[in-house]
Amino acid sequence: MDVVDQLGSVREGKLSRRAFTRGLLSAGVAMATVPAGTRRAMAAAEDQASYFTWGGYDIPELFVPYQEKHGELPNFSIFGGSEEALTKMRGGFVVDVSHPCNSGMPRWVKTGLFQPIDTSRLSNWPDVIPELVDLPGNQADGGKIWMTPFDWGQTSVTYRTDLFELEGDESWDMLWDKRYTGRLGSLASGGDAWWCGAIKAGVPMSDIATDEAFEKIAAVMREQRPLIRVYTDDTTTLEQALSSGEMAAAMTWNSSATLLQSEGVPVKFANPKEGALTWVCGLMVHKDAPNLDRAYDVIDSLLSVDSGKFMINDYGYGHSNAKSFNEFDAETLANLGLSKNPADVLEAGHFQIPQSQEWETRMNETFEQIKAGF
Amino acid sequence: MAETSLSQAKADPTPYKGSRLGGLLHRNETLRGYLLMSPTMVIMTVGILVPFIILLVMSFWTREGFGFDTTLTTTNYQRVWTEPIFGALLSRSFWISGVATVATVLLCYPMAYYVAFHVHRNKMMWIILMTLPFWTSYLLRVFAWKVILGYEGVINSGLMSLGLIEAPLEFLLYSQTAVIITLAHAWAAFAILPLYVSLEKIDKSLLEAATDLGDGPVTRFLRITLPLSMPGVIAASFLIFIPTTGDYITPALLGGPDGAMIGNFIQLQFGAVNNWPMGATLSIVLMLWISAIALVFLFVTRKAQEKIA
Repeated sequence: MDVVDQLGSVREGKLSRRAFTRGLLSAGVAMATVPAGTRRAMAAAEDQASYFTWGGYDIPELFVPYQEKHGELPNFSIFGGSEEALTKMRGGFVVDVSHPCNSGMPRWVKTGLFQPIDTSRLSNWPDVIPELVDLPGNQADGGKIWMTPFDWGQTSVTYRTDLFELEGDESWDMLWDKRYTGRLGSLASGGDAWWCGAIKAGVPMSDIATDEAFEKIAAVMREQRPLIRVYTDDTTTLEQALSSGEMAAAMTWNSSATLLQSEGVPVKFANPKEGALTWVCGLMVHKDAPNLDRAYDVIDSLLSVDSGKFMINDYGYGHSNAKSFNEFDAETLANLGLSKNPADVLEAGHFQIPQSQEWETRMNETFEQIKAGF
Repeated sequence: MAETSLSQAKADPTPYKGSRLGGLLHRNETLRGYLLMSPTMVIMTVGILVPFIILLVMSFWTREGFGFDTTLTTTNYQRVWTEPIFGALLSRSFWISGVATVATVLLCYPMAYYVAFHVHRNKMMWIILMTLPFWTSYLLRVFAWKVILGYEGVINSGLMSLGLIEAPLEFLLYSQTAVIITLAHAWAAFAILPLYVSLEKIDKSLLEAATDLGDGPVTRFLRITLPLSMPGVIAASFLIFIPTTGDYITPALLGGPDGAMIGNFIQLQFGAVNNWPMGATLSIVLMLWISAIALVFLFVTRKAQEKIA
């Protein structure tokens, strides 16, 4: 039974039903045995640590030291929002390392799903910027910590300098500008959008849990909803829309603007006059991490200067390793909205404050209803 | 049947000496039937019945922080009934998948008709060719439509290069239209196959008889072909309507803010909103609504068929 032969008989219209079935059968057997082959070939990947993270962090550039040591990349799983990630892990999904942010960290710790990190096992630890470690709720017993800081940055507005006509200063009002109805985009996760709504509504971060704040923020989110083309957790969608001109402005993180600029798209990451939303994200280890040693290697690899340079240069995010910044001059950093001293940036914006689980749930519920049009 | 096999077994005094089970199986036809069905039954029980019961029980619970309050109440059902968002999302889902179903059946009927009546050689090849789009994954097909309908997509750039439009048409993507178009294409094979089977089964001599008795092509189609292919139409409609109502990935990728369907909201309840009992309730309510609509549809088509006949 020859494949070429079969194709020939199809062309001549002579393929009998039996021959066809036989062809199907062999194709089926081939398909069924393919996974067996690949599984054997990839057997090593099962020994690698698993890393549950945001989209865009699943790239070899961040794992150079890890790859040198173990020959392969860790296994990746991707989430769109940290609340989604926590729900999935609470549902029984076990990984070695995960990637929450400062506002969620105390709640993550409270679930009891994570183990404290022994920083003496990390070779890059002495270079980690202490302000980033010293976050509320990060201290565990015995000098250990819950979350190793990794990246920090801002949530702000990325806009097309050629398409978006600024009226005065850069501001959060840009995402509420009725002139651009249907040409604005937003991140879908309340973990970003709701907080930005708070800045727009003029609610101080410390008051975000009050009922009054809830009403005010919900009102601005409802006002914004008809103007939004799409809410998405997929930053690529926003980047593509900005680059094609489908959107004139969108709520994004640093990386979208940096990536688009490197491709020559005329965009700018706004420095809104009300202040941007700022955050620190980091790495936590699951309490049942199956590859604990390699989990530490994943963290160490992410904290390395190699990864830091990539994070700053290619993504425009801040890094937690002080040495990573030595490669860049002050002007480059300022253009990226960064600084060697994270406090300069984090305190200039509105730093996220951890909230209770009740608040988080209520906020998500309200925001989802608003997005659906209610 | 059962009695004959039983008497045969009695007539033969020593049919299976070694195995009592074998003898039992030989005598008892019901048992044999159940045994043959057992792989399917096990899958049905483990994969459908048990999860359904879990879902049903959970729908009467309520959320409490990250856990569940397991006292049984109908709070969730009351919320679904009273809060307008759930009704609106449900009716939007039925509207979108209803339109998609009608569009798919209308578009696929001529194709199936052509193959059933006008193709005489290599019918198999034709059927395979028509199911060709289904050899790629569902997700890829949805993404393909994103490329076609997108702002710089095939349709927009085509129309713009022809000079028919000046700015890209924005309603194509992130809208209910996009969801309907994609669903109608993505589920086409589920309409073509049942339609083809029911059309293929029609006895051609009936059509000849109708022509002989003076029916024109249109009357012949309406009086013979259409009623006889109704089982195919009904099957196709069900096969498309039921799964598309709860579809989640198409509206998530192509729907935009106004194209969200109930499936997206159910997913959110199990995800970010973290209210599993509410998600369970919504699933049950969706299931009940689909059953009700299916029953009405069956009833109406049966009445219509009786009227034609």
